[in-house]
Amino acid sequence: MESDSSFTLSENTFLSDDLLRQLMDVGEVDLLVGISSHQNEKTAGHALQAVERMFQRHFTRQRAVIVDACAESKEGDEPAPSGLSNVAGDNRSLSEQNALRTIQQVKLKFTAPPSSGVAVRTILAAADLLRARACAVVSPRTAGLSPDWIPNLLTPIYRDKFDFVAPLYIRHKFQGLLARNLLYPMSQAIFGCGIRELYSEEWGFSSRLGAACLSQDIWDEEPIRARPEAWMGISAMSADFQCCQSFLGQKLQATSGSGTDIVEIFRQAVSSLFWCIESCQAEWLIGERSETVRTFGLEHALTDEPTNINRGRIFEMFQSGVRELEPILGTILDPETHAEIKNIVSLPEARFRFGTKLWVRTVYDFAASYHHVVMTRDHLVQALTPLYRGMTFSFLAEHSQSSPDEMEAASQELCSEFQHQKPYLKEKWKAKLEVES
Amino acid sequence: MTHAIFLGLEQAYYNFAGMLADFFPRFLVMLIIMAIGLLVAVALKYALRAILGFTNLDRGSSEAGASRVFRNAHLPAMTVLLSRSLFWLTWFCFILLGLSSLGLAGFQVEVLRGFHFLPQLSVGLLILFVGLMTANFLSQAALLAAVNAGHASARKFSWLIRFLIWILTISMTLEELGVAGKTAVSAFSIMFGALMLGLAISFGLGGQEIARKFLEKYLGSAEKEHDREPNPL
Repeated sequence: MESDSSFTLSENTFLSDDLLRQLMDVGEVDLLVGISSHQNEKTAGHALQAVERMFQRHFTRQRAVIVDACAESKEGDEPAPSGLSNVAGDNRSLSEQNALRTIQQVKLKFTAPPSSGVAVRTILAAADLLRARACAVVSPRTAGLSPDWIPNLLTPIYRDKFDFVAPLYIRHKFQGLLARNLLYPMSQAIFGCGIRELYSEEWGFSSRLGAACLSQDIWDEEPIRARPEAWMGISAMSADFQCCQSFLGQKLQATSGSGTDIVEIFRQAVSSLFWCIESCQAEWLIGERSETVRTFGLEHALTDEPTNINRGRIFEMFQSGVRELEPILGTILDPETHAEIKNIVSLPEARFRFGTKLWVRTVYDFAASYHHVVMTRDHLVQALTPLYRGMTFSFLAEHSQSSPDEMEAASQELCSEFQHQKPYLKEKWKAKLEVES
Repeated sequence: MTHAIFLGLEQAYYNFAGMLADFFPRFLVMLIIMAIGLLVAVALKYALRAILGFTNLDRGSSEAGASRVFRNAHLPAMTVLLSRSLFWLTWFCFILLGLSSLGLAGFQVEVLRGFHFLPQLSVGLLILFVGLMTANFLSQAALLAAVNAGHASARKFSWLIRFLIWILTISMTLEELGVAGKTAVSAFSIMFGALMLGLAISFGLGGQEIARKFLEKYLGSAEKEHDREPNPL
């Protein structure tokens, strides 16, 4: 145990003295919830209240702490609104009606907005020092964050000894198409473990997984700084940690967004997945795994309200993108794949379909080219965006009238195709890059 | 008469033998210097290739977009290119050194000039290389950003950026080499000025409507409503 603590301290030297003091005051805890209220001051109060109510309602006997990554208040600033109204000081005991234990709060103060990676790393370090058995991260940006959600993330870890809990939500049928058509099926095929919501702002993890992730020397990598949650999930999948999914409720999120925002989300998520695939290549290139992930609650539930998605514009952007990026796509894609894409791009809107086989081969070509660094990796990921738009258009056209079960069947078919073509990826991955010498 | 001819021939023979006796050792020295140069150049080439192999330079150059420039120009990978350049540069220096040992009249001055020109040539080539890489990287970044934002004429925009950086690079290289430096700079200034003036006039007078739409698109929110796409996550 002594060696454990010395290891922990050496790893946690990036923590400030003030934070270490707060953590020492708290002592050991059973449960920890991390939240990043920096730049989310308007919604942070609601989120903190939800966490507090959750502890009072569901974990009355456990020692609990809320770790809040917040802005350092400047002189003259009004204090940031907090749900914890009757407490004073940084390390505060919260209002308690039912709880038998004191619920503590630790504030991680940042002068500049921390990246997700920095915030998560600090939360992991805090969890490690406090020896929290079960931890969850929630986002104050999530509209409709309910006190009942968080136990669904903590309980599988605290009571059922799982190491990573991914959330499941009720979503609009056209929401999360990148997750449905790329992130979920590809990660399932490669790591043999199907987690639908790898890229989510809410997730749970055990102290074991937290400590393993904390000890990795990857925190300065751009994909980790931007999307640490997916890396934690993939680390859990590829290192034999126990993973599960837990249903939370309806995610109140806009079904659609502007093109600019979507490109940025796409870049971050796909870069992060490709980076994880490369960093875990030793596991997936040799071994072959297939595990069913246990799910608590509903596995897939969809809603079908009208949306303001402009399908014609998506198709136009696909066509113009493929035409304008032809030389770049020629460098990335296999000649056969590229030729097929050039064929379908000239089809009229009504007849256009991006077949699953072609889509999977395209994505695998991109992943292999990312590995071989055929060009700047960020540019390579951006070049996939028009093709994703083509796939999105095809999906919207095909499933405009589909029921949730039909969509689920299509999703499973796509997963099988990713699995089926995995040898193709392995072959391309291992192939030496042709360099004229 | 016959005697005079024999004397002349004898004199010519002695002169030739003297010249040969004078030249042959120098020629041998030149060959030896060149052979040593060849050995040194080969050794340096392999040493550099081994060192660069450890630094993962080829991967880095791919990431920076340099490999694509090389491929388009039918050049080998960065490591091979650098080690070959070092080989030729080293051997070229030894060849010049060897030739200067011949002591040919006027040649030594040219050799000296050649040596003086080497640093300028190296800097010129470096400017050209960095310029081409920058042009490639920035034009590709602009192309991708414009395509993903749904702008028309993305490729023209990208080519414009590439062209401007090329012009700038070429004028800087020529200036460094001292070849028509003033002409190149003047030509660049005139061309760049004309382009900017043309853009200012066409955008200001002829394209007020486009300018309004452009600003609305970037600063306003009206456009974003018609560009809605499904939320990917």
